[in-house]
Amino acid sequence: MDIEKTIQKVWPKVRRKHLFPQIPLPKVIEGGEEVALEIKSKQLLISNSFFEKLKDVMEGEEIVEAILDHGITHYMYCPWDFHTHLTLYNEAKKVVRKKDLAQRATTCFMDVVADTYCVKGKDTKIPNLYKNLHKTGIHEVLTSLYEKIWGVNLGSRGHDERINRLSRIPYLERKKWEESIKKFTKVIQDILEEELENEQESPQRRPNPLGEHSLDNYSLEEIDRGLREFASAVEDLQEFKETVEDLKEELEEQGYATGGMGRGRGNPIDANLLYYMKLAESYTLPIRKLPIEKMGDLHPHSHMPWEIGKPFADIDIWTSFGKIIPGITQIWKKREGETFGELEGTPDCLIIIDSSGSMINPRERLSYAVLGAACACNAYLKNESRVAIYNFSDALRGNKIILDFNHEKERIYQAICRYFGGGTALDLEDTQYLLSRADNPDIFIITDMQITNLEKLIEFFNQIQNRVTAVHLGHNVHSTRFKEGTEKRKNISLFNVKEKEDNPKIILGKIKEYLSSTSEWG
Amino acid sequence: MKNPFESFHQVGGRKREIPLDKILQSKEETLSKILNGYEHLLKNEAKDLVWLMQYSTVIKAYSIAEKGLEGIEYTAEDIEEFCYALDRSDQIPYLITGPAGVYISALCNYAKEEEITLHLRDLNVKVNLTGYRLPPNKKLIVEGNVGDFTGIGLDGGELIIEGSGKNYTGAGMKRGKIIVRHNLGFNTGHGMTGGEIIVGGRIKGLGKIVGGKIFEREHLVFPNEGVKPFYF
Amino acid sequence: MKDGYYQERIRGVYDYISNNLYLNRPDIEVKGEHFNSAIMFGLLTCLNGGKELIIGEPGLGKTTSAEYVGSILYRYPLGVIWGSEVSGHPEQTEEKIIGRPDLGELNQGKEKVVWSNFAQIPVKVVDEINRLPETKQSMILNGVDRGNWEYLNEILINDEYCLFATANYQDRGTNTIIAPLIDRFDFLVESRHPGPNIAFTIGKEARLNHPLRHPQSEKELHQVLRGNKPHEEKMALAEEICDLYGEYMKENLGVEGLNKEERRKVKEEMMGISFDLDANAFVRMVLAELSFCHRYGQKRSVEACEEGCHYTGYLCHHIKNCASNRLPISVRNYSQALAWFLEDDEVDLEHIRLAIPYTLAHRIQWKDSYLSKKEGEGRNDPFQIYLAKEATEEIFQRYNEQREYLLEALAVGNKAFIGEEISPLDGDHPIYEEIKKDIGAKDEKSL
Repeated sequence: MDIEKTIQKVWPKVRRKHLFPQIPLPKVIEGGEEVALEIKSKQLLISNSFFEKLKDVMEGEEIVEAILDHGITHYMYCPWDFHTHLTLYNEAKKVVRKKDLAQRATTCFMDVVADTYCVKGKDTKIPNLYKNLHKTGIHEVLTSLYEKIWGVNLGSRGHDERINRLSRIPYLERKKWEESIKKFTKVIQDILEEELENEQESPQRRPNPLGEHSLDNYSLEEIDRGLREFASAVEDLQEFKETVEDLKEELEEQGYATGGMGRGRGNPIDANLLYYMKLAESYTLPIRKLPIEKMGDLHPHSHMPWEIGKPFADIDIWTSFGKIIPGITQIWKKREGETFGELEGTPDCLIIIDSSGSMINPRERLSYAVLGAACACNAYLKNESRVAIYNFSDALRGNKIILDFNHEKERIYQAICRYFGGGTALDLEDTQYLLSRADNPDIFIITDMQITNLEKLIEFFNQIQNRVTAVHLGHNVHSTRFKEGTEKRKNISLFNVKEKEDNPKIILGKIKEYLSSTSEWG
Repeated sequence: MKNPFESFHQVGGRKREIPLDKILQSKEETLSKILNGYEHLLKNEAKDLVWLMQYSTVIKAYSIAEKGLEGIEYTAEDIEEFCYALDRSDQIPYLITGPAGVYISALCNYAKEEEITLHLRDLNVKVNLTGYRLPPNKKLIVEGNVGDFTGIGLDGGELIIEGSGKNYTGAGMKRGKIIVRHNLGFNTGHGMTGGEIIVGGRIKGLGKIVGGKIFEREHLVFPNEGVKPFYF
Repeated sequence: MKDGYYQERIRGVYDYISNNLYLNRPDIEVKGEHFNSAIMFGLLTCLNGGKELIIGEPGLGKTTSAEYVGSILYRYPLGVIWGSEVSGHPEQTEEKIIGRPDLGELNQGKEKVVWSNFAQIPVKVVDEINRLPETKQSMILNGVDRGNWEYLNEILINDEYCLFATANYQDRGTNTIIAPLIDRFDFLVESRHPGPNIAFTIGKEARLNHPLRHPQSEKELHQVLRGNKPHEEKMALAEEICDLYGEYMKENLGVEGLNKEERRKVKEEMMGISFDLDANAFVRMVLAELSFCHRYGQKRSVEACEEGCHYTGYLCHHIKNCASNRLPISVRNYSQALAWFLEDDEVDLEHIRLAIPYTLAHRIQWKDSYLSKKEGEGRNDPFQIYLAKEATEEIFQRYNEQREYLLEALAVGNKAFIGEEISPLDGDHPIYEEIKKDIGAKDEKSL
């Protein structure tokens, strides 16, 4: 039977066995003899050459079933999604420090997990497949490991000490995968290094017979989502940056750019920007766009039964059939009319961000100021408002960025993420200029308040009517002065962030509150 | 009340097991026994989580550790697992570097293997007293850094530290060999009577040494013309 | 009658509608076959006597899809379906929805109710239900739920009915559907845009007369429905006219609906389909996540999750309300209907996983924080259906990992329940706690 017919025959059984994965019927590719499987997004592609080669030693149906078991388990169990894949890669990278090695270690680990899961929980021919695959280098080690942890003879031996260590890893405990892959990688590190060295000398590489795991396995949507989850999960910016830098080429080839997804190559990926973008996406805010206001006049809304004592004037004669009988007669219930308020949507916003030396450099560590500004930016852009940026350090000496009101997220993020690291002074003429470029925009300022011309800023804020949200990081005399200087103003809300980690939450809560409110600001 | 689980009456017995399950189960059981022994040691020797490092307390702790280990079957991997379990633990039994070091030494000294390698590079805490009383025909290799009092009372074994040690390394050792790839602290070899300490990096300071040899970057620093044996 | 006889006829109805009346893309896949969800689930709604809420942009066939499906399957000419529809607007009255006093009788001082067509016929369509004011929504609660219509101390009980309601997406200018009413809907489906290519062909073969119209039968049916006879008699007479209309459809359109007896048989067949163990256990797992609260004993919309709860990773942490008892009924009915339609012997996980999101989408109230997180994600479905699909797959991932253990835990639950001395299994999922409660291993009163 040829491979296509075999797949048709085996597929329903395999689907049932794996509890009906939502993936399409596997396809056949000519492929090479060495690699059985490719996974593109959710499509499994089985190599005909591999199938034909192995058919001499294994039943055709067994080959296909085993390959499908392997491929589906990657989809259903490990890694399951791109975020898990990235997390595993990130942990492996911490051990081996090299992209190639980390990728190989991740592939090996995911294979061990997936195949062991299958062997333990399902009726599978995967062991037979391994019995008939080549066993050199790392694959020999892994086959020996399988022999030990599955309890089947696969014709591989040796590596006792290594196998002892590898066999003590709880592969099927998802919660321990991060720790497990580190242990796993440490044990196989020297073999992978040796293989890599040998390949550099003679570029012929023995590929993973059951296929490599790369970004090809995922759709752009899955990648985008994985990056967002990964940004929230990593401990710091550097981890995210390192991983994204490693995958930059592949991401760009897939058509993934900093600003999002698209076809073909976009702008080169800026890992810093991407980090803040993805992180801020986790805090996206629902904002009420057009507040509803009461008009004051009443109109008939719905019916209710008439009771003695209720006004005759409200009786609806048509539905009362001309009768005045309690229970049959109906009166109109009136309701106050509602209309959309005069405020046309959410106003534009000027984000003023301090990037002086006392602030964290957002390209080195997670800056809560940048994150806060990014969240605010998202909130406004999502409501189709425009955002302008005034990023300042020692503005009077030219250390500043002035970005006019626009909708372009990537440009805005670039402006937010720029770091000067010098002194701290605002040029109020700049802010006045920017404010004049939009109709009564909101102002969002985020700083540690150690501004040289703070008094002028306070004076300025006391003159304007725009809604101002001022967020300062840490508590100091300057912030106290700012508070005292602006406390009489109703249009200024000040947030004192004692712990920087709380910053995004607090700002977001308040943005939501004040953007949703109308009466006070209207 | 109607039985809401009736439809599951035919579900078969326990799920399929593979050797991995047994390996992991036995690993957990062994670790739990080792931890019990350690907890027992702490109960006796560090009731208030305080342990004074004295010669007599070390001897006493070691004999309690020996008793605690009686009848436990374990391998070098179990010892390593124990080190990491203690390091991660934020509950009883806590890692107190002194008793933990004595206990780990006892584990190594009574292990079946003649050569033990402990991969401890990722340990947050530097364990004291590693290699205490390491007997002849035993080789202990530690990948990572260790704390104070490493290899004290070494009794013929070979201790290799693939990292650095701190103060009082090899204090009171009688025979055997300590090889340290990187650096050592003060009072190295204090009171040692025999054996060798070979250090690949620098030694901050030597102790009062009675006998044996100490090498620093392949140079013999004891005995030599500047440093003579000390007589207590 | 050979196996699959009725299924073949229903497939014929599906094909006829999808080829001639409601042109749209297939948007669901089950057992390797592709279907359009609006038609497919519409048919299942008719077959199992369900209640379906259809959402979508104006003009994308929300109401018409329901009308076609109901008309063909119940063999009521389209004109009667139109004449029985209730349209949602603030001025809508109880008299137009349910019934009114007989004016002649009223003038003689007698109370007699003239029931509306909507209350009488088994295919009920409410257009733009979210434009009905809340008071009117409350008024139809009972009727929607049980088929009991009350007016002036008289009651009309439908022994068989299905209900379709349409709604625009929840936006400004419309009322929201009140929580008790929304919970009474079994299924939420979107009537989607067919894409420019199919859309271009719609209406190309515009006909003067709609193929499902039959003025003669419509006239006769209207006469019967208006008549003074008791409801049961009227329905028997109506069924005779429906038979004739059914013949007409068979001969002229090549499509066959089901008569009342056939519908009863089909329903019986559906209800006889059992759940396999996976489907059974998976639904329990879903229900556990949607009703569990470690702190307060069960999920309640008035209580917030405690900070640092162990169950933070489960759905109970992301939702505000508790799953009602109508949810498992909807899941059961629709997955059985689906399995029946596909001629499968048992309800399995594939049927369940397809049906659950549509039964959940309108019922779950998500927390804002969760909505914010998911809002920007790319998707093909309306947000609420997308969230429900994601939630279902998330729980399925957990099920897939814990399957063997969960089945064992449930089996242990069975043994403990019948009195065997056995300890319940511990596990990292709310379902294990719930099993303990059911076998008395955990005292619910202890707090």
